[in-house]
Amino acid sequence: MTVEVTRKVSFGGRLLVRLAGFACLTLDSMPLQAQETAEYFKRNCANCHTIGGGRLVGPDLKNVGQRKDKEWLTRFLLNPKAVMDSGDAYAGRLFQDSRGVLMPTAPDISAERADNLLVLIEAESKLERSQFAGALTAIPDRPFTEQEMEHGRLLFVGLKPLANGGAACLSCHSVQGASILGGGQLGPDLTAVWNKLQGRKGLAAWLSSPPTPTMQPVYKNHPLDSQEILELVAYLESAKDERETSSVARFNFFLLGLAGTAGGFVLFDFVWRRRFRAVRRDLVHAGEESEDT
Amino acid sequence: MDSWAHYLDQVLFAVLPYVAVFTLILVTIQRYRAQRFSYSSLSSQFLENRQHFWGLVPFHYGILTIIAGHVVAFLIPREILAWNSHPLRLYILELSALVFALMTLIGLLAGMVRRWTNPKIRIVTSASDWIIYLLLFVQIVSGIYVAVFYPWGSSWFSTSAAPYLWSLVKLNPDVSFVASMPHMVKLHIINAFLLIGFFPFTRLVHILVIPNPYLWRKPQVVRWYGKPKETAGGGA
Repeated sequence: MTVEVTRKVSFGGRLLVRLAGFACLTLDSMPLQAQETAEYFKRNCANCHTIGGGRLVGPDLKNVGQRKDKEWLTRFLLNPKAVMDSGDAYAGRLFQDSRGVLMPTAPDISAERADNLLVLIEAESKLERSQFAGALTAIPDRPFTEQEMEHGRLLFVGLKPLANGGAACLSCHSVQGASILGGGQLGPDLTAVWNKLQGRKGLAAWLSSPPTPTMQPVYKNHPLDSQEILELVAYLESAKDERETSSVARFNFFLLGLAGTAGGFVLFDFVWRRRFRAVRRDLVHAGEESEDT
Repeated sequence: MDSWAHYLDQVLFAVLPYVAVFTLILVTIQRYRAQRFSYSSLSSQFLENRQHFWGLVPFHYGILTIIAGHVVAFLIPREILAWNSHPLRLYILELSALVFALMTLIGLLAGMVRRWTNPKIRIVTSASDWIIYLLLFVQIVSGIYVAVFYPWGSSWFSTSAAPYLWSLVKLNPDVSFVASMPHMVKLHIINAFLLIGFFPFTRLVHILVIPNPYLWRKPQVVRWYGKPKETAGGGA
């Protein structure tokens, strides 16, 4: 009997604990959501924007809600390209200020997420110093050393592997003079990227968490470390005044391919030079010859 | 518009692959049970064998190498990246792949011309043969286009295509790796799934019944009655 009671009490106790836990979770969900939004901002927005830290590639977002209304901001967040294509004058000016870098559509963006982001930006704008006031990676203002530039080049072409296992830039990008047959062309030529992203700070912030939809999944689990970012920025700064790579490398690559293919055909003909060509043709030929004689 | 594109990506890159693979498995088994003797490439070498050589040989050496390359990059992507970390090695790999791809294309074109122009061969060519020629043509041309215009594929296959394919294997498709790829890359991927799905309905089933044991069986002694030259005159 005593045992029965204890069991009942302990069951009731467990139920209470569970209910209390559930209540805590529900109460906690607001800060959790804010935390998640901040994390999202850090991963997807802070690579181009600060809140009160000045402009990077994109504008400083402090008090952005006072510059444009919520409806416009939500529409822009959901699809920057669509607003831009609609001929919106303000979006056009943003595009010009960013030197032709169009804001990519953020991954998994939804009306709810856009709303949360705007709430976060508003709250951070009110703080004396927002957690997003500084760039993600601090880059010194001093001139880069020769060694840093050379290390950056080695990282770019792949001769020095990236610490976290990311693929070398050359896989998809080119820089004038990086390598003989040129770099990859899945992504844009990066010779002038330093200018396009408005200098060291912008480029370093971009590299700390590449936001484009092609790069994001690739580097999400293989981020660059701060030393690598510094060296890559040093290398790209040294290349900023070169001319972009031409398509000659691509043409040469194709020509070499054609030459190799022709060689392959010659080889096949040689290897199978005694191939069986036909019984009947030989017979006919032999018959014709015997008729002639 | 964007949600429509998102939906389309899901259908093409997360649903189509499974439909294709299930079709492949089920129809292959069903066809083997119902029409076992249709498992053949129905060789037409007997009807014409001169042009045949220039289609058959480069096509097969080319496509087998290229498919092997894709499989290796799928299985050991990190090792491919390590190999490619020296630009010279990357160029050698890319150039070899391009050479084999061009061989495949020329071989396929030679085969198509032969089937179209030779009346004897045209008679034994079915509609499914033409469909498979078309699919292969699209596959090879899009592959070469990607190799030339979006280099270096051997590297970014390892970082983008391999994780996507593995996500399919793990039954948890992650289309983010391919959703933002250029259209030609997408076409190459989608067409590959179409080829897989169409496979069991066509002569491609001959891939499953290649007499591989020929590679390791014991040597056979062949005795000729008289000298080989004389046999052509009526020996065998």
